[in-house]
Amino acid sequence: MLGIRMPLWTALGCAGWLACLSLPTSPLAAADHPGLAIYREHCSRCHGDAGAGTPDVPEPLVGDRSVNQLAAYIHETMPEDDPSKVTGDAARQVAEYIHGGFYSAVARDRNRPARVELSRLTVRQYQNTAADLIASFRNRGPGIDDRRGLRAEYFHTRDFNRQTGLVFEQIDPQVDFSFGLEGPDPERFQPNRFAIRWTGSIVPPETGIYEFVIRTEHSAKLAVNTAWYEPPLIDAYVKSGNDTEYKANILLLGGRSYPLRLEFSKANQGVDKKNEHSTQASIQLLWRPPHGVLETVPERCLIPHDSAEVFVVKTPFPPDDKSIGYERGTSVSPEWFAAATAASVEIADYVINHIEHLAHTKRDSPDRADKLKQFATTFATRAFRRPLTDHVRTLVVDRAFADAPDLDAALKRSMLLVLGSPRFLFHTEAAAPPTTGTEAAASGKPDSFATAARLSFGLWDSIPDQPLWDAAAKNQLVTAEQVRRQAERMVNDRRTRSKLRDFLFAWLRVDHGPEIVKDKTRYSEFSPEIAADMRASLELFVDDVAWGAGGSDFRRLFTDDEVYLNGRLAPLYGAKLRPDAAFRRVRLDDGRRAGVLSHPYMASVLSYAAATSPIHRGVFLARSVMGNVLKPPQEAVTPLAPDLHPDLSTRERVALQTSSVACQTCHTMINPLGFALEEFDPIGRYRTAEIRGDMQKPIDASGSYLPREGPQATFRGARELSATIATSRDAQEAFVQQLFHALVKQPMRAWGPDTLETLRKQFAANNCDIRRLLVDIMTVAALPPPTAPPQPVPAPQNPAEQASVPEKTP
Amino acid sequence: MITVSRRELLRRFGVGSAVLPFLGNLPSLAATGSTAPKKRLVIVFSPDGVVKKNFWPTEPGPFTTLPQIVQPIELPPILRPLEPFREQLLMLKGVHDKVQGDGDRHMRGMGCLLTGIELFPGNIQGGGETPAGWSSGLSIDQEIKNFLQSRPETATRMGSLEFGVLVPNRADTWTRMIYTGPNKPVTPIDDPYQMFHKLYGQMKDRESMRSVLDELHEDLATVSSALPAEDRRILEEHAALVRGFEKEMASHHAEVAHAVPVLEQGIVEQNDQMPKISRMQIELVVASLAADFTRVASLQYTNSVGQPHMKWIGVEEGQHDLSHEPNSNEAAQEKLTKINTWYAGEVAHLAKRLAETPEPGGDGSLLDHTTILWTNELGEGNSHSLDDIPWLMVGKGLGFTMGRALDFKGVPHNRFHLAIAHAMGHTGLVRFGNPDYCGDGPLTGLV
Repeated sequence: MLGIRMPLWTALGCAGWLACLSLPTSPLAAADHPGLAIYREHCSRCHGDAGAGTPDVPEPLVGDRSVNQLAAYIHETMPEDDPSKVTGDAARQVAEYIHGGFYSAVARDRNRPARVELSRLTVRQYQNTAADLIASFRNRGPGIDDRRGLRAEYFHTRDFNRQTGLVFEQIDPQVDFSFGLEGPDPERFQPNRFAIRWTGSIVPPETGIYEFVIRTEHSAKLAVNTAWYEPPLIDAYVKSGNDTEYKANILLLGGRSYPLRLEFSKANQGVDKKNEHSTQASIQLLWRPPHGVLETVPERCLIPHDSAEVFVVKTPFPPDDKSIGYERGTSVSPEWFAAATAASVEIADYVINHIEHLAHTKRDSPDRADKLKQFATTFATRAFRRPLTDHVRTLVVDRAFADAPDLDAALKRSMLLVLGSPRFLFHTEAAAPPTTGTEAAASGKPDSFATAARLSFGLWDSIPDQPLWDAAAKNQLVTAEQVRRQAERMVNDRRTRSKLRDFLFAWLRVDHGPEIVKDKTRYSEFSPEIAADMRASLELFVDDVAWGAGGSDFRRLFTDDEVYLNGRLAPLYGAKLRPDAAFRRVRLDDGRRAGVLSHPYMASVLSYAAATSPIHRGVFLARSVMGNVLKPPQEAVTPLAPDLHPDLSTRERVALQTSSVACQTCHTMINPLGFALEEFDPIGRYRTAEIRGDMQKPIDASGSYLPREGPQATFRGARELSATIATSRDAQEAFVQQLFHALVKQPMRAWGPDTLETLRKQFAANNCDIRRLLVDIMTVAALPPPTAPPQPVPAPQNPAEQASVPEKTP
Repeated sequence: MITVSRRELLRRFGVGSAVLPFLGNLPSLAATGSTAPKKRLVIVFSPDGVVKKNFWPTEPGPFTTLPQIVQPIELPPILRPLEPFREQLLMLKGVHDKVQGDGDRHMRGMGCLLTGIELFPGNIQGGGETPAGWSSGLSIDQEIKNFLQSRPETATRMGSLEFGVLVPNRADTWTRMIYTGPNKPVTPIDDPYQMFHKLYGQMKDRESMRSVLDELHEDLATVSSALPAEDRRILEEHAALVRGFEKEMASHHAEVAHAVPVLEQGIVEQNDQMPKISRMQIELVVASLAADFTRVASLQYTNSVGQPHMKWIGVEEGQHDLSHEPNSNEAAQEKLTKINTWYAGEVAHLAKRLAETPEPGGDGSLLDHTTILWTNELGEGNSHSLDDIPWLMVGKGLGFTMGRALDFKGVPHNRFHLAIAHAMGHTGLVRFGNPDYCGDGPLTGLV
């Protein structure tokens, strides 16, 4: 593989190194530390368990000495009655234990009870909240629709008048037509004078910049996410010179549907002289999605019904902190603040430019002032996720309207106040106690508005919808059962699907869209288009598992033996499909496939250009799937080049390189997991032998895994490995924990030490149903942690801080 | 072309990241200490040709009373509103749009007027001739803009500004005269409020943000006081960012040295509001030049084949319909004369506003450093002639000798474009548009 680009070590956080298991990784691991026995024998008599102190020595054993300093100190002075009892290595071991267990600042911080920390909206939450805030003043778009494609109207005229020109209409799966010189139908259309309009919605698979491309020799306009009266995204009404390709970029959020309209006209435009010549005609609608290649916009992303336009905030934000495995907003930075401020102006401008429509008023109508003020109040209420107290309303609405020079300025001030307020930017509901004076505060029960917000941010990364709001207003989000009912309703929403999809891709460590490079000689069929199709195939598969008819069974992610293939992928994997066939499920290799484990995309991503990488595959399995903590090795190691060991199989080469004792602490776990997938080559084709140059060796896919509890499991090949994972408690635990953190963005331990095991047991008892797990997690996490939060400092007594809960919420 | 990137701009001004989204309305980027007088060009377009007998003087000659030996020629009827600027007028007859190729004459008149090069073949069918697409080259104002922006001493925040008055909401060969390159038409901004936002929006945003800072601080304090102590840390950091933002904005307070124009609110884009919209746009043109946001601007009234109904001067019919009437239709000629006199009045108003505005940091008025170039896509409406394209200049920005009418008797207009470019300092430009029409180089005899 030398001389060829090495893919994606960074994906696994290992930055070009081989991975290594870390010791110890948590206070629990300290239980295995050899220093513990020494501590118990010689130290705990005075210092107590975990250095908590005793009546004799009440001070807790904490400080800022380093391990070396502590060891020297113990060697010289401890135990006080006979310092000779703990010296040298023993002193060092006990120092290590004390330091890592409870003595050092780091250890103390780690041992602090986990709590729900005040955090700001993540970028994704900001974008979704902005979109839904605006959308809440518009008619709701349609729900989830299983139909695909676009509505197509065919006209025998050059314009789009249904009365005078419509010939027929139908659903077209995608827009990719070559009409040649004849046109759509010689019987019903003149060859050089016809027009087609495609309308419907587009559902982008993920958030990002989409490049749209139209290819045509004639007149065309494409509108995406705009009202009919606004300028289109692409205006190619004028055909000029040799231009036949038109491009434009647009930012779209995943998990939403956007209105789309494409108009195509083959005829001269302008003055109507009916003097067209015979010419070729074609029209193609393509896009380049984030992480994708230029392709015809696929049928699966098109819906033949309309949607309301979506407000997408364009201000770029710096990425969120993802250092502990999930995006969270527990820090602020000048860059984030600048972005949030610019975004507040962007949102305010959008509102003002669309206020007639959003507030149902006209510029010169007499009740405009009332309507705008009402709008501002409702906007603030929804943005703050709770009814406004008189104090807050005065602050963010009344004063803005009282002082401003004109109504537009008043509205803008109010918007900027609302969008700049910590009540909007921060999850204050998660941290603050119920507002003083509310029923919730008086009853000591959970605050329903806070619960509503936690539910909606958990499942949608956005604000509550009307039913959720109504339930909160009636204080009907108090019991676990009430919360569960809402969560069950809310799971069936495109935003939940989007959030789960993004989580699953993060869980599979492919959320960043890794670039795949393959050896051109060995894998001449491989191309960027193939790579994009592989990713689409994985998307379809995980969506099918999560939301398809199969019961949302987590285990199917490993055990399913079918693969989504289209006409382009099929020949690579020995399937027979028409070259233009859309994606469909195909059973491959006589049932030897094992879900994501052998999926072509995963197998390719977790390989080098010309060889598999059992280490990448093993790290992925050990860390992501089984939930073990691995640290990068302390020294960078360059993988052995296959050419230097021409007689070794990949397995043998990896075993050779990782044979040292230092490596083995981690690679005893990594390698036997990765070896089990050796049946799948660097682009995920099944193989029984590895052939390279003169070397030909049968595949040895035997492997093993030692779980955190229980006996070692052994297996041969992906199918047996998948059976192990499907029943693995480690895998369930890892999945539950990672999903919890992705949804809630707070440490799970804050809800109590048993939360993980309780949820895991429920998950196992429910046939590993992912959708039910979403509900179970949110039923726990939407309610405040059972342990009493630290008492807040009493708020200044502000008589205005009396909540006025309206009967009917806006 | 060399442009100054936004990043570079920020570096030059040493601005921190928190105000980044609010930075705008910078004064001229021109290096301080540069003493060369500024030169500015404003192109004004009105459509459908002129009434030749009422537009052109009967013969070329001086408009000016100096020197007194020669009798000054009388200003033609259409130009009467420009009487106060008689000594600052320069009129060019006999400068033809000779570009051939696809497209009818309205289309070529519009698309080749400032580009001097053919339209691409395309799908837009005119009233005659073959269908065509966009122009195959950039327009002279953009050529000059690119030149000015490439030099630190003449670079401005906007480079160029494209104003419009009632330009129809459709992009085709008849509605676009400015091009940044082949097939790259520029949409003029015909909504004064939109232009105002482009010019002053960020400044207004800063004002808005400043106006809410007290409430933001109060809100932060209230929320913070109700939180557990552990959670106050992040809000305190947030509050510190708000305070830092406040300081940074205060230090950039006095950026706009001139008075920001105040626009009448609630004017909608419709035919009858044309006079008001015109005056609003003129105010914004003058303000942009005074602030040195740009040194190149254009102001496009309607479009080629434009059809305003100038009821406010007693003309009910559409201009384009009238322009097709034969010269023998005296009533139509009279109305077209009134229409063109109205346009001349707007040009005169622009000149007046420039003359009233002192040149910032220099001598005289803005008009002494600006040339207005009023033109049209046709020489005459009913004949659709591209000969004798109206070219009327007002103001001394280009350094030409003013106060006269000249007749070049049929030179291609490309040569005039070259002369403008040279007068603006872009002396390295040897060809513009179709080189076949640049034969003898820049038009001479103007200085």
